[in-house]
Amino acid sequence: MAYAYLFKYIIIGDTGVGKSCLLLQFTDKRFQPVHDLTIGVEFGARMITIDGKQIKLQIWDTAGQESFRSITRSYYRGAAGALLVYDITRRDTFNHLTTWLEDARQHSNSNMVIMLIGNKSDLESRREVKKEEGEAFAREHGLIFMETSAKTASNVEEAFINTAKEIYEKIQEGVFDINNEANGIKIGPQHPTTNSTLSGSQGGQHAGGGCC
Amino acid sequence: RHSALVTSFQRDPGWKLFGKIPPREGAIKDPTRIQKEYETKSGRAGPGNPTSPRQGVRKNLDFEPLSTTALILEDRPANLPAKPAEEALKHRQQYEEMVAQAKKRELKEAQKRKKQLEDRCKLEESIGTAAQIWNQEILPNWSALCTSRRVRDLWWQGLPPSVRGKVWSLAVGNELNITHELYSICLARAKEKWSSTSAHSLETEPEDPGSSDRESSLELIKLDISRTFPHLCIFQQGGPYHDVLHSILGAYTCYRPDVGYVQGMSFIAAVLILNLDTADAFIAFANLLNKPCQMAFFRVDHSLMLTYFAAFEVFFEENLPKLFAHFQKNNLTPDIYLIDWIFTLYSKSLPLDLACRVWDVFCRDNEEFLFRTGLGLLRLYQDVLTTMDFIHMAQFLTRLPENLPAEQLFQHIAAVHMTSRNRKWAQVLQALQKDPERGSPVLKR
Repeated sequence: MAYAYLFKYIIIGDTGVGKSCLLLQFTDKRFQPVHDLTIGVEFGARMITIDGKQIKLQIWDTAGQESFRSITRSYYRGAAGALLVYDITRRDTFNHLTTWLEDARQHSNSNMVIMLIGNKSDLESRREVKKEEGEAFAREHGLIFMETSAKTASNVEEAFINTAKEIYEKIQEGVFDINNEANGIKIGPQHPTTNSTLSGSQGGQHAGGGCC
Repeated sequence: RHSALVTSFQRDPGWKLFGKIPPREGAIKDPTRIQKEYETKSGRAGPGNPTSPRQGVRKNLDFEPLSTTALILEDRPANLPAKPAEEALKHRQQYEEMVAQAKKRELKEAQKRKKQLEDRCKLEESIGTAAQIWNQEILPNWSALCTSRRVRDLWWQGLPPSVRGKVWSLAVGNELNITHELYSICLARAKEKWSSTSAHSLETEPEDPGSSDRESSLELIKLDISRTFPHLCIFQQGGPYHDVLHSILGAYTCYRPDVGYVQGMSFIAAVLILNLDTADAFIAFANLLNKPCQMAFFRVDHSLMLTYFAAFEVFFEENLPKLFAHFQKNNLTPDIYLIDWIFTLYSKSLPLDLACRVWDVFCRDNEEFLFRTGLGLLRLYQDVLTTMDFIHMAQFLTRLPENLPAEQLFQHIAAVHMTSRNRKWAQVLQALQKDPERGSPVLKR
C-alpha cells in the first residue's frame, strides 16, 4: 500500500514494563498476559492516517535489560520517534528514566520526538508512581506524556498516533530534513490516493500482514 | 515461601517431559528394560503420554464412511406435486454423484490417516532402535566412539529423547569440574540472598532508589521465569519446574557473579531442565555458557560479537550471494536476527523439538553449527525473503513460521558449505579477530 511517509519508532525502557505488549496492542489489537521475553529486537508495522496522509510506522521494540543497552543503542539511529516506557507499579522503572533519556538523546538525532509512557494504568491498586510525577518528569525534559494500559488498550492508539502527529508537525515546520533518511523519515514510493479506504486511526494492519 | 522452595527442590518434580531420564538411574540400561519401556510408551500410553498417536487414531482405522449414511434422497412432501420423471432421474443421478464423491473423499482421508499413523509408528520404531543403539553400543564406549563416522551420522539424525540429556552432558563435558556439591553450595548462597532481599524489601519503602544491581538481577530472574516458554505452562509460578529453573539461574549468579543473569539464559536452562536432572542441568548450563561464543554473547562483549557477525556474513555471502545482496540493499544487518537466535540457541525461535535437534548437533559441532543453522534458515526461506522489504524480512526472521519444516531445514543446513576460500569457520573467525577493521560495520558506533 502506498504511504506518504514512513516513520521509524523505537520503544525503550526497563525490562518487563510492557513494551512488547504495547506494540502488540497497537498492531494486532490484542493483549497477551504472559508475553515472551524480547531478546535483541522485535518489529511491528502499522499504517495510520494523519492530516489525510497515509503514514507507515516501522516500530523497533528493543530488549530492556541493562546488559543489552550497548546493543540496542545502535537502533536509535534513524529513529524519528521514541516511546520511553516505565511501569507505574514499579518505582525503579521510573527511577531509571534519566539514564534512558541520556542514552536516547546521545544516540539519536536531536529532533527525535520522545513520548514518555507510564504503562499498566489498569493496575491502579498497585500504583507506585503518581501520574503527576510522570507529568512533572515529562515537563522538565520536554517530552510528551501519557499513561496507557496495554491490557485495556487505554491510550495506546493515542500514544503512537500523537507521537506521529508531533513528528508530522515538525516536518510541516521544516524542522526535519525529510530527504535525509538519518532522521528516521522516508518519503513513500508514491503519493497516496485521495479517496483512500483507510480513515482516521482505524487503519490497523496486522504486524505480519501484507500492508504496502 | 523460602522453605517451600527448599522442599520442592529436594523432591525434584516427579513428572518427566520429553523422555527425560528418571533421576538416579544408571547410564546403561538393560536392553529388555528398554524394549519394555518402549512398548509401554508406544503401545499403551500412560497418563504421562496422552498424545501417543496409536491411541487416538486406532479407532478410526477400520474404514467406514460416515457422512454418506446421513445423506438421504427424499421425495417431495405429499402436499406438493410430485417431480416430473426426468427431474427425479436427474436428482437421483446428482445424489448418487454426491454420495460417490463423499465416499471417495472419506476413503482418501482414511488412507491419509492410515499413512500418517504408519509414519509415526515407523518413526517411533526408529527412535526405539536408535535409543537401543545409543544405550547399548555408543554410551558404554563413549570416548572411543564419539568421533567415529557412524556415530556422527547417527547423531546428525537427532538423538532419541531418552538419551538426549546424557549425550548432551557428555558432549558439553565438565571442564569446569563442577560437582553436585558445588551446585548445592551455590544454590544455598543464592537462597540466602533471596531471603535477605525479601526481608530487606519488606523493611524499606518501595521508593528507595538505591536498589543494587544484584538485587535487581534476582528480581529480574523472577520476572523472566514466567516469560520463559509461557505456552508450556511448566515454568510459571505453580508449575512443576518453576523452582528448578529459579534455582539454576540463582545458583549461576552466585557461581559467576561477574557474568550474572542475562536475558536468554532462562531459555537455555529451561531446555536443559527438560532433559537432565537439576544438578546435571546446572553443570551442563555452566559449562555451555563457558564456551567462547556463549561467553562473548552473555558478557555482551561487543567487539567479539561483531567479529562473530562478520564471520557469519563471510559464509552468508559465500553461500547465498543473491540474498546477501538483497539484505545489504535493505540494510538488514545480521545482529537483528542473530542476537535472538544465538542467545537462546534457537530455543525461542524454533519449535522446541526442532530446537533440541539443533542442540544435538550443536553439542557435536560447537558454535559453528549455530551459525550454520542460521544460514540453513536463510537458505530455506531464500525465495520468500528476496520478495520482502526491510520490515517484512525483519518481522519474518524475528518470528519464524510456526510450521517450519524440520526435515527440510536440516536438508538446507546440510547444504550450507562451511568453507570459504579453503578456510574453515574457526580460521575465518580467527583472521577477523586479528583484523577488527574488517568486522561488520553494524553496531560499531
